Amino acid sequence: MASGHVTKRAKYKTTIKDPGTPGTLRMTLEKILFVPHNPKSAGKLDVEFRFIKGQKHTKEGSSKPPWLNLTNNQNGSFIFEFENYSDLQDCRDFVGKVLAKSGEVSEKPTVTYPDEQLSAAEMELRIKLLREDSELQKLHKQFVLSGVLTEAEFWATRKKLLDREANKKTKQRLGFKSAMISDIKPSTDGRTNKVTFNLTPEIILQIFAEKPAVHRAFLTYVPNKMSERDFWTKYFRAEYLHSTKNSVAAAAEAAEDEELAVFLKQDDILASESRSKIRRVDPTLDMDADEGDDYTHLPDHGIFRDGSKEVTESENELYRRTLSQDINRHAAVVLEGRAVDVELEDTRSVAEALARSKQESSTKGESYGDTSRERLDRVSRMTEIEDLQAPNNLPLAPLCIKDPRDYFDSQQVNALRTSGDELAGTEQIKCSLSSQEVYGSLRESISVIKAMGLKDPIVKPEVAHQVFDALTQSISTTKYNIGKNPQESVLDRLPKKIKEELLHHWTSILELLRHFWASYPITTSYLYTKVNRLKDAMSHIYPQLEEIKGSVPSDLRHQVSLLIRPMHQALDAAIQHYEADMQKRSARSGERPNGYA
Amino acid sequence: MKFQIEDVTVYFPYDHIYPEQYSYMIELKRALDAKGHCLLEMPTGTGKTIALLSLITSYSLSKPQSPIKLIYCTRTVHEMEKTLAELKLLHNYQIKHLGPQARILAIGLSSRKNLCVNPTVLAAENRDSVDAGCRKLTASWVRAMAAENPNVPTCQFFENYEKAASAAVLPPGVYTLQDLRAFGKEKGWCPYFLARHMVQFANVVVYSYQYLLDPKVAGIISKEMQKESVVVFDEAHNIDNVCIEALSVSVRRQTLEGATRNLNRISQEIDSRKNLFHKLGPKPTYAVGLFHGRFKATDASRLRSEYNRLVEGLALRGNLPITDTWLSNPALPDDILKEAVPGNIRRAEHFLHVLRRLVQYLRGRLETDNVEKESPVGFVASISSHAGIDQKTLKFCYDRLHSLMLTLEITDTDEFLHIQTICDFATLIGTYARGFSIIIEPFDERMPHIPDPVLQLSCHDASLAIKPVFDRFQSVVITSGTLSPIDLYPRLLNFHPVVSRSFTMSLTRDCICPMVLTRGSDQLPVSTKFDMRSDPGVVRNYGKLLLEMVSVVPDGIVCFFVSYSYMDGIINTWNDSGILKEIMQHKLVFIETQDVVETTLALDNYRRACDCGRGAVFFSVARGKVAEGIDFDRHYGRLVIMFGVPFQYTLSKILLARLEYLRDTFQIKEGDFLTFDALRQAAQCVGRVIRSKADYGMMIFADKRYSRHDKRSKLPSWILSHLRDANLNLSTDMALHIAREFLRKMAQPYDKTGGSDRKTLLSQEDLEKMGDGSVHEMLY
Repeated sequence: MASGHVTKRAKYKTTIKDPGTPGTLRMTLEKILFVPHNPKSAGKLDVEFRFIKGQKHTKEGSSKPPWLNLTNNQNGSFIFEFENYSDLQDCRDFVGKVLAKSGEVSEKPTVTYPDEQLSAAEMELRIKLLREDSELQKLHKQFVLSGVLTEAEFWATRKKLLDREANKKTKQRLGFKSAMISDIKPSTDGRTNKVTFNLTPEIILQIFAEKPAVHRAFLTYVPNKMSERDFWTKYFRAEYLHSTKNSVAAAAEAAEDEELAVFLKQDDILASESRSKIRRVDPTLDMDADEGDDYTHLPDHGIFRDGSKEVTESENELYRRTLSQDINRHAAVVLEGRAVDVELEDTRSVAEALARSKQESSTKGESYGDTSRERLDRVSRMTEIEDLQAPNNLPLAPLCIKDPRDYFDSQQVNALRTSGDELAGTEQIKCSLSSQEVYGSLRESISVIKAMGLKDPIVKPEVAHQVFDALTQSISTTKYNIGKNPQESVLDRLPKKIKEELLHHWTSILELLRHFWASYPITTSYLYTKVNRLKDAMSHIYPQLEEIKGSVPSDLRHQVSLLIRPMHQALDAAIQHYEADMQKRSARSGERPNGYA
Repeated sequence: MKFQIEDVTVYFPYDHIYPEQYSYMIELKRALDAKGHCLLEMPTGTGKTIALLSLITSYSLSKPQSPIKLIYCTRTVHEMEKTLAELKLLHNYQIKHLGPQARILAIGLSSRKNLCVNPTVLAAENRDSVDAGCRKLTASWVRAMAAENPNVPTCQFFENYEKAASAAVLPPGVYTLQDLRAFGKEKGWCPYFLARHMVQFANVVVYSYQYLLDPKVAGIISKEMQKESVVVFDEAHNIDNVCIEALSVSVRRQTLEGATRNLNRISQEIDSRKNLFHKLGPKPTYAVGLFHGRFKATDASRLRSEYNRLVEGLALRGNLPITDTWLSNPALPDDILKEAVPGNIRRAEHFLHVLRRLVQYLRGRLETDNVEKESPVGFVASISSHAGIDQKTLKFCYDRLHSLMLTLEITDTDEFLHIQTICDFATLIGTYARGFSIIIEPFDERMPHIPDPVLQLSCHDASLAIKPVFDRFQSVVITSGTLSPIDLYPRLLNFHPVVSRSFTMSLTRDCICPMVLTRGSDQLPVSTKFDMRSDPGVVRNYGKLLLEMVSVVPDGIVCFFVSYSYMDGIINTWNDSGILKEIMQHKLVFIETQDVVETTLALDNYRRACDCGRGAVFFSVARGKVAEGIDFDRHYGRLVIMFGVPFQYTLSKILLARLEYLRDTFQIKEGDFLTFDALRQAAQCVGRVIRSKADYGMMIFADKRYSRHDKRSKLPSWILSHLRDANLNLSTDMALHIAREFLRKMAQPYDKTGGSDRKTLLSQEDLEKMGDGSVHEMLY
């Protein structure tokens, strides 16, 4: 190996099934060369090592012959079958060494991103993202392929896109479904009278949440007294009895089977819960209190049978449950939201998690004990007639968004008066900040925030006002110039090609600037080179913008220049910063010859 | 704001006032000046309550030499709380402007169940058990026993209240039930008895209708109210029904069985001290009680005093301790003769025999296979001939029972409701010869296979119960959002208002949008007419209508059905056909059930769903409790759908008897009354959606019958004036289109004060600028 090359006899196979072409394999530091014994056969191979990405090989002692599989970066592969394992080992070590060497070389510029080895899945995700988003693809092409940014840098600012899948889970907790699950349809096999119910942990959670008695029964019976399967069989038996609306039959079955009776009876936990909830109910709709004040409807007083009151069978009342009750209960549970935040796996864990969260909420409910104050507030809020009174909050002019032009037209005068000089002001603020000042003001504002909280706006009112004015001015002039249609924007009036170009430039400038400003302060040589690259790219865009400006017809030129100006300003600021920094750096590097620059 | 109406300075707690509120106050003041009764109809959502309260309190403030008392009657407890909350707002405002001289005492009064703070009593399930639980701790004999034996439990709150004696007063202010409870807890006084006591000193009393209309309750609560009071019946469109219910009793098999049990228990109590009673003849001698610890030597004197009381007549109940009173005589105070109890029931055993005979007779009457209808006179005559009980004896039954139970020191009165019912019945038929009928039905017509005989004494004449109120108080104000046709109420209630006005609503913009939907999405007619209501096509069309609407209308939607059974049926059908599931994808669904607790919780959840933006649909029943008393204002109800016309169950024997009575006595045609009744219910249901002029809502009357003029014209004018001709005959798709347009229009900002030509919001300057007359010009 020290010789820098290795030569072995081997068979080259294009696929695993291919019987292979016998020949000589010669590997050098640069390339892999395979020459078949039979000069007429087509298996000649000459591949440079830098295209090789990895290698796989069969294990000694396995039933497979000694194969070496080299994969290239186009996802192709070269398979060589050796005569024995020692040959394979030699080649394998050699390839490993060469690959490691080339890896060192390629990894050098990306020391800050040592995790450049990507799994295929990540790669796929990136490709997918690029394919889905043509704009992103354009940017990628423009910067990564041209070498302004490395692949890693490009994606580093888009981490969010990349762990979208991971984010999905934590972003928002899903509530219960609005639709009722009480009617889970069983599937029949068509031959026997057997039906099958499919229960997911999701459904089970919902059943438990809506029917606390079932939940309690599960916790007590399963698995000590019966298996989970039996439990659910009983449950659905009970549901079936309910659905037949035959309370007599239900009562009869319940009398025979006490576990079944649990499902059939009225839910006593719900009843007690509702009794405690009724105390906290809004007094303006507390009909229970009316009942308590109603002396006309003493039993047997008042008009008993005039058709307005409904007839109910009083026997077997215990085993009646109406659809209305179910619907109300379901809606209440949906409204309460999901309290359980665990991976829903098996029924047991679901049941226990629900029990825990219930315990928490009940202790919380007790600590809230006296809600009478809140109830009273609510009543007094409800009683006020809103439009007879001046609104309580600060006076404000209602913003009518029917036609934004009205507003901007009225602002036109103001805008013209405060002409461009204030814009220059904003620029100065942006670029005259030295790092000490920034640091100082940052410390200052942090201490202020610490002292009194984040009350004040982050942006100073004057600055905000300036920006706002500038914005208003540009928008209002545009609106003024365009005239009639409020929906129309400046861009729509430009030729399509120019519009697209402008938009593309705008996104690419943003991309560059993001990387640019993120690189400061420059602490490593890597960042230094990056900034240089970025600066070159930016100065490259600069004339392109001018070119666009020149290419548009004269009547649109003003509009376009208005659009381009902020881009220019942003680029100017960046380049200015770059130059100032370079100067400082060169001054310092005179003192410190060991500077990294 | 502050302004003059003639000689009265009115304090109004807002910066602006609606013109109709102003003219409402003017009319009201006229009635007060004339010391007469009045009838005022003003649309919902125009602030009736605050206008009433502020005029009447200002009126009494401006005439300090003869302050009038305001008795404000609401239908429900939560309306009571709302009224008191508004009054609190007004009171604060008046104090701010007038200082301490504006102080008044205003209290809400309710049953023990809503006022009690004793946790052991409150643990009881229903009102009657709470009442009995209270009595067990506070009855005069229980307390007397407790004084000797410390192991007898008493109520600490009541004891403290008694100890404080005359010092136990409420400082001036406005007290909601909640406030009363809080005050009671803080001071350790019983809020119920404190409130009962303070009623006679309060400037404003807010309580339920029944406290004035139902003679059983009015006899104990309202008997000491002074004549110089203004009585207000708010939301009074159903007042005739309340009056009728107050005087109606029904007797079922269970009642009779229970009554027999009660009688056995009473006779046991009597037997256990038979000796005592034997010695106690018409010439009372002092017997020495040798029995249980309860009965001591004092028993003899108490029994004697009972006998004396019975001789002197029953008007003495006022002297009983406040805690010993129960529900009073079911007949009206003026009808109770102040004469001695007939001799044949003065002795307890004789009275028990009379009751046993009566129960026996009623049992015999229940065993019938046919529907029977009889007048009270005939019934009394037949009792007299078959059971040997004459009319005068019947009349005294209730009070004799009451007296007996007091004498026997029975505290668990909730166990004795059945015999109480029988005595109620006896007293009523003994007292009234007209305006009632007795109807015996062997089974409910809708379930003829289940025998459930019932004997109903039903009152037909609403004027009976309300007559003492009109006679006794200086001014009675009957007001509601739906009193159309306004000339019918004076006839039904038999009184002569000095002012009778119906106000329209001046709207800044068309914030209500009534529609009549006659056809479903398939262009077939929809109706809840008897022959059509179970038609699957109609049910499906109704479902489709709701389904379309839930996808368009934001926040809350309320649906009213004609009856519980219809609602149950339609929901089940929708559930089976999957429509309900689709509705649920847009909004959560809540349903009114016959269980009050569940309905209350459903309503609370419904509101929360609307508050959080989830949106919800509430299914309710016309004539139900929700339709009667719950507001669906603002985002709680942007649309109300009235499925069908809520006619009463026209086959009901009681209704038929009442219609007959109305025709014979008041010359009101049956059909007219039924339509009037159905349409006032419908108007009441849809009127729940609007609360102020800033609010907006749509109303869909989904039945083809609404498009007919004779039905429609019975709606109140404020709805009719917004019902455009184009909206009279819509199908689902057209209604959907209108709804979209309307909602878009309402979402726009608008000028709240109205245009320059037609002001809908007046400021203080506006009022000062114009004389009294100009408001009318502006309004009409």
